[in-house]
Amino acid sequence: MEYIIADAVKETIEKRGLKIDDIKAVVEGAGDDRIYKDGKFLAKKEIGEITVYVMYALDGDKCTVETAYSHKMKILDIVLVGEEDSGWVYCKNKKPVFTGHTNLTYLGATRSGPSLVEPETGASWFEEYLAAGALATAETLFQQKRA
Amino acid sequence: MGYEELFPPNDLKGWHANAAKRFASPFVDNYHDRVDVDPIMLSNAAVHCGFTIRDFYEKPELGIHCVGYVAELFDLLPVTHWFFSLPWVRELGVTLEYKDTLPPVSTGPIMSEPEEVEKLVPIEKEDLKKGSTIPLFYGLYDYVQQNLPHTLVPISYGFDLCGAGAELVGVENFIMWTFTEPDIAHHLIDTYVGTSINGADILSDKYGMAMLIVGSILANNDIFSDEMVEEFSAKKMHTYVDQCFRRGAGPQVFYHLCGNHETDYKVFKKNLVWSPFNVLEIGYMGQNEFPAELLKNEFQDVTTIMPGVDTKLMINPNPKKVYERAKEVVLAGRDAKKGFILGTTCETPPYTIPGNLLALTRAARDFGTYGTW
Repeated sequence: MEYIIADAVKETIEKRGLKIDDIKAVVEGAGDDRIYKDGKFLAKKEIGEITVYVMYALDGDKCTVETAYSHKMKILDIVLVGEEDSGWVYCKNKKPVFTGHTNLTYLGATRSGPSLVEPETGASWFEEYLAAGALATAETLFQQKRA
Repeated sequence: MGYEELFPPNDLKGWHANAAKRFASPFVDNYHDRVDVDPIMLSNAAVHCGFTIRDFYEKPELGIHCVGYVAELFDLLPVTHWFFSLPWVRELGVTLEYKDTLPPVSTGPIMSEPEEVEKLVPIEKEDLKKGSTIPLFYGLYDYVQQNLPHTLVPISYGFDLCGAGAELVGVENFIMWTFTEPDIAHHLIDTYVGTSINGADILSDKYGMAMLIVGSILANNDIFSDEMVEEFSAKKMHTYVDQCFRRGAGPQVFYHLCGNHETDYKVFKKNLVWSPFNVLEIGYMGQNEFPAELLKNEFQDVTTIMPGVDTKLMINPNPKKVYERAKEVVLAGRDAKKGFILGTTCETPPYTIPGNLLALTRAARDFGTYGTW
């Protein structure tokens, strides 16, 4: 597969401490375990202690990477399923993905955060704004407060 | 002379270090000594230090230093806050007047015609920076950074989204329009929400994060049905927190549901954004304190809970009564899955009796010490 990654995207990915090999591992290992909306896929994979997400578009064997991000908090169970259809569809069972809340655990504490959820399979995803923003700050606070 | 010269330093290695561990504990499941106590102390801190209610609001740096200083006296939170219920409204055209015995109140002018409201748009970031709220909070947090850095939590206030919107048109007009001109009422709140989001964006840009405080005060069951509380308040609170998070604010959120939320509490769980660090306080069920046990059972899977002792008791010269009530609240809520803080049902009154604050802390020690239940 040929990977197309714009310089700005590459810079963001590197700033987030992710490697191109991580991106490839997520995309190539996803199979149907990914969600789809408006021509884009979002897939995730646990790599070591982090969960890495890649948003990408496919055109034949070309993969255009839109963004990639990660969080350290480990995804657990769905806590709440919202009424709002997010527009995403889970490729595994073709069911709609809703907004909701999912438990996460980190450094021995379990807390919830707003997420995308597919209730039938119990699968959850966290969006980029949250992983790179509130969750990243929360991870830092957990580290400080547990110290 | 700066206000910092009026206060001795906090006991950093003793009181503050211990209070900081306690404060962190409900959020990270690392329980330390006892449950925390937060009587939402504002101008009462100034009164304890010999200043006036007016001083607290007119001199924010003095006010916040009083909060940070007095917290040690009653072994309260190790962090500071300073606020009143009407941030951002001056930028939207309202004048605030300082009072001797009250927080700043709106003196208008109010918009009395729907056509005036239709023209309102959220205040953009650049204009907000030139307004009064952002410079006020810059000054406040810069002062804390310099003089009380161990207590600093930059906070952005949406506060009462519905109530602050109503101040722009007068509460009576607003309530009437929720029935007769709902689109106008929505536009009014949305304008205030958009302005508040821009404010949080500015503060999180500067400080790297911004805790959010947002509530539902005017929108409660004394005035609105559950459906209207959901439409005019809970959904707006969702938008506010969701959009603030998308712009880098959070992850800490304090949800303050003041007033009577007898049945409308049910609409908040599905509508609010629950982050890894949030606290929920609900003031009243009818005329009584919102039951700690109900708060725990309904919300413990998504948030730290903060049930409270009625603020009326805090000015009643009967510390034993406060102690007994606090005991009941602690016993009912202390084992909440995601943590418990003993509160009061709203801001503790300016002339709260010191013995009553001590009674709260004493009850937290006697009945909220981890490992004893």
